[in-house]
Amino acid sequence: MNKAMTVQPPSPLRAFWLKWRFHINILLLLVPLGFMPKYFADAALFRGDSGLGEREVGEVQVGPWSLKLAELRNEPPRPDPAGPMKSFNAALCATCIDQVKATYLRIGKPRSLRAAGVIFFGTPYRMGAMLPIPERTPLDADVWITMEGWDGAIHQAYIPLSQASPATIDWLKKRGVKP
Amino acid sequence: MSKKSRSKLWFLVHSWLALPIWFFVLIVCVTGTLAVVSQEIVWLANPDIRASKPSDDAEPLTYDQVIGAIKRAEPQVIVESLSRPDESHFALSANLSYPDGRSLEVYVNPYTGVIQGISPAFNFQAFTRALHGWWLVPFTNGYSWGWYLVSLLGLPLLASLVTGLVVYKRFWKGFFKPTLRFNHGARIFWGDFHRLSGIWSIWFIAVISITGTWFLIEATLSDNQITLSSEPIVPAIARDKVPMSATGVPAPMIPLDEAISIATQRIPGLEASFVSLPSNAYSHLRIGGRGWYPLMFQTAEINPYNGEIAVSHLLSDRSALEFVTESMRPLHTGDFGGLWIKLIWAFFGLVLSMMVLSGLLIWTKRTALATLNALKREAKASRQPAKTQVLQAETTEGNQ
Repeated sequence: MNKAMTVQPPSPLRAFWLKWRFHINILLLLVPLGFMPKYFADAALFRGDSGLGEREVGEVQVGPWSLKLAELRNEPPRPDPAGPMKSFNAALCATCIDQVKATYLRIGKPRSLRAAGVIFFGTPYRMGAMLPIPERTPLDADVWITMEGWDGAIHQAYIPLSQASPATIDWLKKRGVKP
Repeated sequence: MSKKSRSKLWFLVHSWLALPIWFFVLIVCVTGTLAVVSQEIVWLANPDIRASKPSDDAEPLTYDQVIGAIKRAEPQVIVESLSRPDESHFALSANLSYPDGRSLEVYVNPYTGVIQGISPAFNFQAFTRALHGWWLVPFTNGYSWGWYLVSLLGLPLLASLVTGLVVYKRFWKGFFKPTLRFNHGARIFWGDFHRLSGIWSIWFIAVISITGTWFLIEATLSDNQITLSSEPIVPAIARDKVPMSATGVPAPMIPLDEAISIATQRIPGLEASFVSLPSNAYSHLRIGGRGWYPLMFQTAEINPYNGEIAVSHLLSDRSALEFVTESMRPLHTGDFGGLWIKLIWAFFGLVLSMMVLSGLLIWTKRTALATLNALKREAKASRQPAKTQVLQAETTEGNQ
């Protein structure tokens, strides 16, 4: 390289470039440095050190039981091969831990227990579900919580999606609600 | 093209592969080396992770005994999973769910079941792996671009190996006549070092570059929703197979040790070096461990209420292609055969890091030499005002 370089003294800019061109890649170190706060925030989020999720929705009463609901991340649904998904975390009330067999989440009212939606995985202290956001979700959609007891009892409750995830509503508005 | 100019060209290609990104390559090599022995570094730094034997004849506890001990110490916690590390000097790792919502890895003594410590918020092992593996760039939609950035390095690394061997004529002679000259100046020393460590690392550079390139392919396939896996999708336990309980309390599950013995009896060769407890009332108990082929794991999903094996994923279920693709990760990380393999991987990782550095030093020293020569000629040239081309003397190495 530099075969064309002649004895004419190079311009200061060119000299600088020639001297430092192979060291510019040190700047790539800025990438992990920049992401480090995010990395540690995420580590704390998944350990539960920073609470149930990035944004707590609050306590939802479901029949005799209740659960604390939180958005894992305060952000719009994430793309997924199966359609946009929104992650929620939940914790059961202390007294209902042994009574509740399963908890489900769904957008819109379930027609039956078999269509109760996605099931929560995890422990009663901290469980998570990935809620699919259907193509035609209206802005006034409700998030339905279905809880099933070990004795066969079923209890349901709903909260507006706007309360469960304002970021999802903003995202729906931006995307335009499909009829 | 003459033989000489062709070797010059190869030499230029060899130098240019890593030179513009030498620091990035160096940090990836150094963090990779650290990641290989990260568990051992934590072992040295943190006594909680060591499996000290209370007495010489102490026997390791069974999984049920471990869970029992954890429950006695912390009645409210829920055990999510347990794993026995490959090396017996490490404590058991247990994931516990605490009533305050935290989900933490704790270190449990395999002989007494005592919770020796909670993993610190700064997880050195996970951090070095994340730094090495994806440059800390978060995964938001499929693989992170940091993953692509790092795994792309597999290609220049492979090309460096090939061009290096082309440039280094009759390199095999170096095995019989190792040369490392200390008294001929830094330039000669680093040149000898680069060649000597290069030929002894051929196998390692090949392994790391090929497996690294696989990570690139793996991410590309996954981000395009292409899977090569034969792993079955496990359906939830059918509603009617989960017992109801009139009293309204959770249906009893069979003891973990019983589930393991049922599974290992029905599936010969299945080992249970890790267990994941059911993550809801309709999900299975998962047990797994290495089979006869140490680079892959076998798993079985068991109905926790009746011990029925729902699905298993064994070595015999894998396609020939999967034997290749699933071996890539352990071959890259060296965590398939205990401490010695890790130490060998770490040693060659260090050698590879030094090769990046020595390559850079050779380049800078040679460039410095060439610049010096150029300046001399320039001084001459200013006395005889003729246009002279300089700075061509960069490829002496190729002619050696």
